[in-house]
Amino acid sequence: MNLTIPSSQTVDLSTAIAPRDSRETVGQPFVDKARMECRDVDVSYGDTQAIYGVSLDIGSNEVMAMIGPSGCGKSTFLRCLNRMNDTIDSCRVSGSIELDGQDIYDKMVDVVPLRAQVGMVFQKPNPFPKSIYENIAYGPRIHGLASHKGDIDEIVETSLRKAGLWAEVKDRLDKPGTGLSGGQQQRLCIARTIAVSPEVILMDEPCSALDPIATARIEELIDELREHYTIAIVTHSMQQASRVSQRTAYFHLGYLIEVGATEQVFTTPQHRLTEEYITGRFG
Amino acid sequence: MSRLRTIDVVQGGLKKRYRFERLFRRLGLAAIILSLAFLSLLFISISMKGYTAFVQTFISITVHLDETKIDITNPGKAYYGSMVKEALRNALPEVQGRRDKRSLYGLISTGAEYQLRDMVMANPELIGTIQTVWVPADDDVDMLLKGHIDRHSPESERRISDKVIGWIDDLENQGVICKKFNTTFFSSGDSREPELAGIRGAAMGSLYTLLVTLAIAFPLGVGAAVYLEEFAPTNRWTDIIEVNINNLAAVPSIIFGLLGLAMFINFFGLPRSAPLVGGLVLSLMTLPTIIIAGRAALKAVPPSIREAALGIGASKVQMVMHHVLPLAMPGMLTGTIIGMAQALGETAPLLMIGMVAFIVDIPTALTDPAAVLPVQIYLWADSPERAFVEKTSAAIMVLLTFLICMNGAAVYLRRRFERRW
Amino acid sequence: MKGLKIGVALVAACMLTAGVAQARDYISVVGSSTVYPFATTVAERFGKTSSFKTPKIESTGSGGGLKLFCSGVGLQHPDITNASRRIKKSEYDRCQANGVKDIIEVKVGYDGIVMANSKKSPLLKLSRRDIYLALAKEVPNPKGGEELVENPYQIWSEVNPSLPNTKIKVLGPPPTSGTRDAFAELAVEGGCKTFPWLKAMKKQNKKHYKAVCRAVREDGVYVEAGENDNLIVQKLGADPIAVGVFGYSFLDQNADKVQGSMIEGVAPTFENISDGSYPVSRPLYFYVKKAHVDAVPAIKGYLAEFSSDQAWGEEGYLADKGMIPMPVEERASFADDIKILKPLEM
Ligand SMILES: Nc1ncnc2c1ncn2[C@@H]1O[C@H](COP(=O)(O)OP(=O)(O)OP(=O)(O)O)[C@@H](O)[C@H]1O
Ligand SMILES: [Mg+2]
Repeated sequence: MNLTIPSSQTVDLSTAIAPRDSRETVGQPFVDKARMECRDVDVSYGDTQAIYGVSLDIGSNEVMAMIGPSGCGKSTFLRCLNRMNDTIDSCRVSGSIELDGQDIYDKMVDVVPLRAQVGMVFQKPNPFPKSIYENIAYGPRIHGLASHKGDIDEIVETSLRKAGLWAEVKDRLDKPGTGLSGGQQQRLCIARTIAVSPEVILMDEPCSALDPIATARIEELIDELREHYTIAIVTHSMQQASRVSQRTAYFHLGYLIEVGATEQVFTTPQHRLTEEYITGRFG
Repeated sequence: MSRLRTIDVVQGGLKKRYRFERLFRRLGLAAIILSLAFLSLLFISISMKGYTAFVQTFISITVHLDETKIDITNPGKAYYGSMVKEALRNALPEVQGRRDKRSLYGLISTGAEYQLRDMVMANPELIGTIQTVWVPADDDVDMLLKGHIDRHSPESERRISDKVIGWIDDLENQGVICKKFNTTFFSSGDSREPELAGIRGAAMGSLYTLLVTLAIAFPLGVGAAVYLEEFAPTNRWTDIIEVNINNLAAVPSIIFGLLGLAMFINFFGLPRSAPLVGGLVLSLMTLPTIIIAGRAALKAVPPSIREAALGIGASKVQMVMHHVLPLAMPGMLTGTIIGMAQALGETAPLLMIGMVAFIVDIPTALTDPAAVLPVQIYLWADSPERAFVEKTSAAIMVLLTFLICMNGAAVYLRRRFERRW
Repeated sequence: MKGLKIGVALVAACMLTAGVAQARDYISVVGSSTVYPFATTVAERFGKTSSFKTPKIESTGSGGGLKLFCSGVGLQHPDITNASRRIKKSEYDRCQANGVKDIIEVKVGYDGIVMANSKKSPLLKLSRRDIYLALAKEVPNPKGGEELVENPYQIWSEVNPSLPNTKIKVLGPPPTSGTRDAFAELAVEGGCKTFPWLKAMKKQNKKHYKAVCRAVREDGVYVEAGENDNLIVQKLGADPIAVGVFGYSFLDQNADKVQGSMIEGVAPTFENISDGSYPVSRPLYFYVKKAHVDAVPAIKGYLAEFSSDQAWGEEGYLADKGMIPMPVEERASFADDIKILKPLEM
C-alpha cells in the first residue's frame, strides 16, 4: 500500500487518462504531509457494497469537506476513519487506513485510544442523558486526562467556550444535557468531543440541525480548531464547504469522484458528475 | 365528476375517523374499569372475610400463682394449666361435674398456660401473688362472638352447646370478655390453635427466601442479559441459548422444584425446608424473566447513546456500565419485580424442597426451616378449624400488602434511577 | 464476567453450607396430610413444653412421605413419616435397601371418611353396595348376569329405590390423596365384595379384582374437587344435590352446614367410629427411624408426648381435633412398643 505518488504528478495522470464519465478519482486525492492515508477502501454492509476503492489523504491541520448526494457513502467513509463501523456487525472494511503511518485496522491497534485520537461528532445530536457538566467531563475522566476537580472544571469550561455554549449554560451545568435545544445539544456534543483533545475530529453534518447563527458560530469554531486539529466534515451545504474547508471530496454512489482544493472544485470541477452536483443539476 | 378538493374528502371522512377514535377510547376505558372492578371485588371479598382476624377475643382471668405449685428455682417446670383451670372455676362457680368442667376449661386457649409461664419466668416475683391477666379465648368462643357460629342454630349443629353459650354470656356480663387487636397474628409463627397462629414465621420465611432470590437472580440475570445483548457474538450458540432461555420462562415451576431437590439438597447436601434452598430454586425460576426483561430494556437503549460513548473513546464495558446499564435499569427493575412477585406467590416448587411444612419457630437464619406466605395460606385453607377461614383471608391480605410494598419499592427505585436520566 | 464470578461464589457457598445439613436440632417429620393436623398439634405442644425446638412437619402425602423417609439414614433425611395407611411391602423393601433397617411403627388412631351433603337436603342412608354401584367405573349389568358394564346409573333411586330421586353427584379428593385411596378401598371395594361372583374373583385374579372393585368412575359423576376438604364443604353448601367425601374432622367442624350420611345404618359420629361400628374408617400411623433416635435427642420426647393419654387418649387434645382414639388396650400396646423401640417386621 505504498502508493506515495507526488501530488503534482497525479493531477496530470488522472486528467489525462480518465474520461469525463469514469469513476476513477480525479483531482488531487493525495497530499505531501498526510495525517490520514486511505488506500483502496472498500466498505460493504453484508452483500451491498457502500464504498468502492476510495483512496484519499487528509492533510495535517486542514479541513477536508466531503460532499455528495444523499446515500453516497459519506457517513460510511467517515465512520471508517475511527472505526465506528466496528459496531455494525454486518459492516466489512478492506483496504488500508493509516493514521500517522500506523494502519488503524491492524490487529494490534486498540480502538479505545484510536477514538480518543480521532473524535467524532454525529449527524444527530446525542448528548448523554446526564448533566451538561457530566457530558463534557466524561471523556477526560475515562481517559484520565484530569484527576482533580479543578482540572476537570477547567476542561469543561474551555470546551464549552470553544463550542460557543458557555454563556448559555454556565448557570445550569448540573441540568440534563438532553434538556437543551437541538442546536445547543449539537454544540454540547462538539464540546464533548474536543474535551478529550483529539488530533482528528470527524464531523458528520454537524450543522444540519442548527440555525444560521449557531452554524456560523460552529464554522468559526472549525476555523479555530484547524490550528491544532485535523478535521473531516461531511456537509450538504456547499456554501459551508467552501467557507470552512481547504479541500473538498465529492462522493457519488460509493465512489470518490473528485478531490481538490475547495476553490478549484467549486469553480472548475473536472468531472461531469461533480459539475452537475455543484451546479444543482443533480443530487 | 369534478375533482374533489382534498379538504372536502378529509372533511367527509372525519366523522367516521373520530367515531372510531371515540369507540377505541371507550373500549380502553371500559377495559380499565372492568379490571379495576374485578380487583376491588377481590380485595373487598378478601377483606370482608379477613378483617375479623385482626381482632381476637380475650378472657380476663384472675389466677393465683400458687407458690406451693411453682418451684422458685425452676418456674418453667410448673403446670400452669391447673392454675388457669382454678381461675375459671372461680369465675363460674356454678359449673359442676366432670364433663361440664372439661367444657369450661375449653373456653380458654391452651396458650394461656404458656402465657402464664412466660410471665412468671420473666418476673419471678409474681409467684405467690394473685394476678388478673387477659388470655386468648378458644377459637370456638372467638367464632361465636364474631358471629361465625350462629347461636340460634340447633344445638346439635354447633361445636358449642347451649350450656357453654350460657357461660360465655355470663362471663360477658361480668365484663371479663373483650375483643382486642390481635397482636399474636403478627408476632408469632404457625400454630394448630387458630387463636395462637400468626403470620410472622411465614412472612420472615418469605423475606429470607426473596432476599436470597434477589441476591442471586438479580446480578446473575443482569449479567447474563448484558453479556448476551452486548458482548456475545451472534451465532448459532447464542441463538440456541436465547431459545432456551425463552423456553425456560415457560417451564412449569414444579420442575424447578425437582431440579432444586436433585441439585441443592441431594447433591450439595443443603438442608431441606431452608429459605436458602427456596431462594436458590426461586432464583432459577425468576432468572429467565429477569434476563428477558433485561435484554428488552437493553435493546431499548438508543444506539446513538452507545455511539456517543464509543465515539469519545469509551471501551465497550465502560459504555455498558456508564451509559447503557443506567438507562436500562428501570426496565430491568420492572422485570425483576415481576419475577420477584411471581416468586413470592409460588408454592409448587417449594413443595419439593420441603417448605410446605408446619413450622412454629420463627426462622432467624437462611438455613432455619421456614415456610413462606403462600404456603401458609395453603396450609391454613386446608385446616378443618373454622377459625382458620378468617386467618386465611387475613394472610392473603398480608401477602397482598407484601406485594404492594414490593411494587412500591420498585416504583420508588425506578424514579430514583430515572431522575439520573 | 460478573455473572460467572457470582456463580463461582455461589457454588463455593453451597459447598461451605453443605456442612450445615449434618447438624440438626429439630425433628424432621414428613408425610400424610390427613395425619398432619394431629401431628402438628402434638409437635406444637412438644415444642412449648420441652426444651427442644418444635418439630418441622411437612405435608407431603403418605406415599411421598414414605419415599423420602426410605431414601436413607442420615440427618438430611426425615426422622419420622406420617401415613394414613400402613406401609406397603414394596416401601418397606425400599427402606431396607437404602439402609433404613429398623422402623418403629406407631398407630395413632382412626380417621373416619364420611359422605356428607347439605343440611338443606334429606339425610342419605347408604350402604356400601349403594356407594359401589353409584361410583364404580364398572358395575354388574343391571339386567342381570355375571358381566360388568360401564356404570349406567345417573340417579340415586336407580341404585336403590329407597334413595331419593336426585342426580348422583359426588365431590371427592383426587387419586393422589390418601383419603381417596382409603375411600376406594373401604367403601367402593366394600360394596363390590357384596357380589359373591366379584368376591370370588379376588382369589382367582387379585389384580383384576382390585382394578374392578376400586376403580372410580370418570364420566363426571364423581367430581375431583381437589385436596382441600374445606373447599368441598363449601361447595356442598352451595349445591344441595351434591354429596362430598372427606375426613371426619371436617364434618365435626362444619356440623351446622353439612350432615354425614349413614352408612350401613350407622351415622359417622365420634363414638361410632371409635368403637368400629362405622364401616368406613381407617387407621393412621407414623413410622420412626430407629437409627435417628439417638442422633436427634428430641425424638424420644416427641414419641412420649404423642403416646401420652393427654394427647391420644379418649379425652386427649387430638380427640378435640377430630382424631378418633384407639381403644385402651391398643394404645397401651403401642405405647409399650414405643418404649422399647420395637422394630417393625414384615
Ligand atoms: N447500518 C447499515 N446497514 C446497511 N446499509 C447501510 C447502513 N448504513 C448505511 N447503509 C447504506 O450505505 C449507503 C451509504 O450510506 P451513508 O449513510 O454512508 O450515506 P450518506 O452519504 O451519509 O447519506 P446522507 O447524506 O443521507 O447522510 C446507503 O446506501 C445506505 O443505505
Ligand atoms: Mg450521512
